[in-house]
Amino acid sequence: MDSRILNEVRELVKPHSPQYCYQCAKCTSACTATKVIPEYKPHLIVALTRLGSVKGLMESGIIWACTECWKCSEYCPQDVAPVEVVIALKNLSIAMGYKPPEDLKVMAKNVVELGYVSPPIEVLSKEFEMYGREALSLPELVKPYVSEGTPTNLKKLLGGVYE
Amino acid sequence: MSKFLLFLGCTIPTKQYSYEISVRNVLPKLGVELVDFPESGCCGFPLKGLNKKAWIYMSARLLSLASKKGLPILALCNGCDTSLRKIKDLLMHDKDLREEMAKLLSNEGVKLDINAKVYHTLEVLHDFVGVERIKSLVQRPLKGIKVASYPGCHMLRPSDIPRPEDPVEPRKYDSVIKALGAEVGYYPDKGGCCGATLLPYSAKHALLIVASKLKTIKEYGFSAVSTSCPYCMEMIDAKQDAARSEVGDEDISIPVFYLTQLVGIAMGLKPKELGLNLNVSPVEGVLDRLGVSLYE
Ligand code: SF4
Ligand code: SF4
Repeated sequence: MDSRILNEVRELVKPHSPQYCYQCAKCTSACTATKVIPEYKPHLIVALTRLGSVKGLMESGIIWACTECWKCSEYCPQDVAPVEVVIALKNLSIAMGYKPPEDLKVMAKNVVELGYVSPPIEVLSKEFEMYGREALSLPELVKPYVSEGTPTNLKKLLGGVYE
Repeated sequence: MSKFLLFLGCTIPTKQYSYEISVRNVLPKLGVELVDFPESGCCGFPLKGLNKKAWIYMSARLLSLASKKGLPILALCNGCDTSLRKIKDLLMHDKDLREEMAKLLSNEGVKLDINAKVYHTLEVLHDFVGVERIKSLVQRPLKGIKVASYPGCHMLRPSDIPRPEDPVEPRKYDSVIKALGAEVGYYPDKGGCCGATLLPYSAKHALLIVASKLKTIKEYGFSAVSTSCPYCMEMIDAKQDAARSEVGDEDISIPVFYLTQLVGIAMGLKPKELGLNLNVSPVEGVLDRLGVSLYE
């Protein structure tokens, strides 16, 4: 049993409280991810977190299946907010050196460098023409940061996650 | 005249251009003044799984920049709307977190200020402009079109912070659609999830969610879908082909419109003024029935 994990999760999910879970599984019956990936079960994730036994969840990467739809949190009678527990586990897994899905790394890199999750792209219209902001007469997109302090702060918070 | 900071976020100004075009062309005609807010990039929502503090920081800084301008925020994206409101709530109740964020923000010369009010497109249409006003401006009623409203997760949840719609019994969305002369109706799991956040982990499973949502909507006799979230649009409009081939069901095909596009069509705007040529789903059918050519 690793009580450090539970303590760190508790800190990250404040003001919610995983210790009050009584395993009714209402969260799992409402869960979007469970419907398409049956082995993903939020009530089990909460139970394993309380036991501090989260290595498997992190190694397999199954925590990244959560769509962050917040349904579990609405249905939970104990204010556990399983979604917040899962977000906390995602954060801890990265702090422990496990890798997030590749596309998320790219998004984070773009946010640090551009201020957006992706650079502005050209899209295909119904007339089979490619349109970008300029061709659509939309104002030019500027870097949304007021100073270099923003990407510096963000890099510090994200650590080397997107390298 | 109500005046708002146009908060674009990430997806809309880099990809989902039809939302921005329709908002910029429709809202001013309804008496809403939009003030550009070029600092409104990523709100941090997509970063929360990587680092929750990074999410809090990004929203805290945008709330602060908006507060300084002294105008309410109009958040077009469900993710931005949720993020700004949730972080505002977290900071309001946590002094240590406020201090931590204030310190980070001082590195970039910004003073922490979370007072800015946050509104979503649906609220501006329903609560500020009002259903009666919209009704009075309809020139081309959407007669005979049954539209499934698709609010998307983060218009409703989490419900422990103020939401644009009633989380339990969403009604505003349908009342705006009704004001345009279209029909509305029930379908199961109306407040359900589009699966966008599942994409980086498993595109295949995200597409299964899209397929099942669209199939249900068709089974309940709807001729179109409407959303007000760029992530939902990205999934249920742009990924219909992919969802169709994933499950091998030819029936998964239905026109999808932004709410602001529907309002614009009903007000008689030209399809190009609403970016309708950029929708991926088969919107032509509905436009034909209303006697509108996509290319006019
Ligand atoms: S709904 Fe809440 S109390 Fe019930 S199993 Fe899930 S987390 Fe535990
Ligand atoms: S937020 Fe995640 S765990 Fe909760 S119901 Fe949605 S997919 Fe399931």
